[in-house]
Amino acid sequence: MIADATNRDANRKQLPVEERDQPMAELTNREIGRRSLLEIGIDRVWRFFCSVRAAIYEIAFLALLVLIGTLRGSSVPQNLADLLPFTQGFVNIWYDWDVFRSIPFIAICTLLAVAIAIGGMINRAPGIWRAIADPTIRTSHGFLRGATPSAQLLSSEPHASFATDLTGYLSSRRYRVLTETHGDELHVYADKNRFGKLGTFPFHIALILIMVGGIVGARFGFRDTEFVISEGETRAIGHGTGMNLTLNQFIDEYNLDGSAKEYTSDLVLLDGDDPVKSESITVNNPLTYRSMSVYQSGFGQTVMVRVNDLDGNPLYEGQIPMGIYHSTANPDAPAGTITLPQAGVRLTLIGPDEKVWNQPELDQLNLQTGEIYLQTEPLGGASGAQPEQALVFTGQSQQVGNLQVEFLRNGRYVILQVGNNPGVPIFILASVLLVGGMAVTFYFPHRRIRGIVSAAAGGGAVARFAPMARREWSGQREFRRLLDDLGAKLDIVPEIAAAPSAPGEDDAPGKTRRRARTHHPA
Amino acid sequence: METLVRLSFYSFTAATIALLTASACYVVQAVGRVRVRRAALTTGTGTTVTAHSAEFGPGSETFGRYGTMLGWFAVVFQALAIGLRAGARQTGPTNMYEFSLVFIFALALMYLLFERTYGVRQLGAIVMLIALAMAAWIYSLPVSEREVDPLIPALQNKPILTVHVGVAIFAYAAFSVAFASAVLYLINQRRRISWLPSLDMLDDIGYRAVTIGFPLMALVLILGSVWAHEAWGSYWSWDPKETSALFLWLIYGVYLHTRTLRGWRGNRSAWILIFGFGATIFTYYGNYFFGGLHAYGGV
Repeated sequence: MIADATNRDANRKQLPVEERDQPMAELTNREIGRRSLLEIGIDRVWRFFCSVRAAIYEIAFLALLVLIGTLRGSSVPQNLADLLPFTQGFVNIWYDWDVFRSIPFIAICTLLAVAIAIGGMINRAPGIWRAIADPTIRTSHGFLRGATPSAQLLSSEPHASFATDLTGYLSSRRYRVLTETHGDELHVYADKNRFGKLGTFPFHIALILIMVGGIVGARFGFRDTEFVISEGETRAIGHGTGMNLTLNQFIDEYNLDGSAKEYTSDLVLLDGDDPVKSESITVNNPLTYRSMSVYQSGFGQTVMVRVNDLDGNPLYEGQIPMGIYHSTANPDAPAGTITLPQAGVRLTLIGPDEKVWNQPELDQLNLQTGEIYLQTEPLGGASGAQPEQALVFTGQSQQVGNLQVEFLRNGRYVILQVGNNPGVPIFILASVLLVGGMAVTFYFPHRRIRGIVSAAAGGGAVARFAPMARREWSGQREFRRLLDDLGAKLDIVPEIAAAPSAPGEDDAPGKTRRRARTHHPA
Repeated sequence: METLVRLSFYSFTAATIALLTASACYVVQAVGRVRVRRAALTTGTGTTVTAHSAEFGPGSETFGRYGTMLGWFAVVFQALAIGLRAGARQTGPTNMYEFSLVFIFALALMYLLFERTYGVRQLGAIVMLIALAMAAWIYSLPVSEREVDPLIPALQNKPILTVHVGVAIFAYAAFSVAFASAVLYLINQRRRISWLPSLDMLDDIGYRAVTIGFPLMALVLILGSVWAHEAWGSYWSWDPKETSALFLWLIYGVYLHTRTLRGWRGNRSAWILIFGFGATIFTYYGNYFFGGLHAYGGV
């Protein structure tokens, strides 16, 4: 269980310096002997959440689940089953599995959120802050000799004034320059964009905030996806809001070719009985009031009816939306239904078939425009009474069972989505942090240079510098450009040593190939 | 309007011709050339023996320069094609035909900016071929799909939808450049071709391309969520197109974490970039086999 210390150190050397700087949440055998099981357990959990390798596996597993969920919404699994029929059972399970509400998905998101908080931020913070505020200045000749590339500058100036020139130049190029004297050597550490390292924090905080926003929205918000309201009707929004909504009018416009042009609903939002907002909404332009939004979603025909019992007592007067339901016998026929407990029946209305050309054999009612088919069924369905049926025409009254139904006129209804999401401000904040964090991290990379300035054996001074940019082509290029510019400014030619080139490792064709140059100060 | 649509198509055709010739130039330069040497030897008996030897060398820089010039022609003509089309429709791109026009433009432009930054042209042999393949796909679409039809209300958008789509396409273009660098990396690593860019440079190009594409992809998800919140009432609906974009983002998230925190370079990173490009194509063409809220975008 305990990683071998030697291997651990060897692995650690493979890591970038930034990661090596981080505190290790690891235990030695001796430490384990001194600690309680609880401490060891907590330490192991901490180590797990700090592990970059584990975080990468978690992201990869999340990506896999997202892919499975994405394909579930496509025809790809069925195509697979068509190609390999023996996979049909597996594909059926695939289509039935709601990945994004499944326990593995929620578990991996939770795990990642904790890993982001612990490993991505808390554990990294001391190392990053140390690199910003208190970096190690002293370096070694071994590092400078082995670094790729490294540069040597020779000057006839005295050691001290040459060092002043070099540090002054680096400062003028927006580098923070820190120095330490060790013996007769001046050790130099220069860096820029050091605060760019902090970009990782807003980025990771944003990821957690997005999850928090989702939880807040789901826990404290609501979303009514089928809020049906007829023209002239006022309906309570519910969900404890105390708000009402009135639909004054619905307008649908069409292009010359018959395609839909625009759907508009004139709405009034009321707080109790007091109008607070009046607006015409269209498909992509919702009505927004505080954290509540009302969206255009669909529309259809209504049937305005007045229903009395046979003694003339009113049971219902209003609009019944048609098309929310459909006749089971004919899916093309729009239907509506109301329950009348006073009369102990359910009244169902069926309109004319809207697509007469589609499966005409199903259209047994053969209703014409202006006709409505009525049917009453006893509530509970156990009385043994047969359904009563009748036809009614616009403007006429008709008895059906123990009801007298008057078909007053046609009207319209709209289907709205009414939502209240208090998580939106959190989501907006997270978005800003996410993009800002990435911009800082990627476009302001932390550039670091180490060097030693000392007196040359034959008089004058010698300086050797190297960037901390192993295998970072851009960082190395920036270092070379900096040295070129420095050479021009101080009127010296830096000797730049690069790693031995393997075939294919040369600079690109068309680019000036840099050769190591030697310079002997006059 | 019809005139503008026709002119747009002519511009697209001109851009395609420029892409075709630019691709040819870049391929010639990247593949290099074979130098055949012949040596005639005369033996002591007076017999003449001819020996042939062949060696590969870097392709002509002249072809590369022509490729660049033609690439810029393609960008200009493609911009014209998009502009004329937008003039005819009075909106930004709204269907796959128009998205693909922008994709070609973004690909060519993104590549040329990288070429300018890094001073290497060999990537063009892959990126321009992708753009050319996209153009060929556009030609395979039925002619009716080039017509400008009135938009359904759900697509009569605010600028945010145009920006959302535009940003997505530039992200895809950046990922395509990263893919090209990964392919060249793997080729160069195996073949050690001296005139291809260095492995470190190719690795860096791939990384830089992802550092452009990854934030853009995050912006795509954010802008898409904002628009979805306005249009559909929910900023995230687990729609297949949304989740495929999230999948794509996570893939490149894995790439960045393995590279910056685990120190992965070269081979393994290159394979992630190639896989990521597969995911990019999957996401881009997803409308054809996804159901859900983006399905109407078909073509």
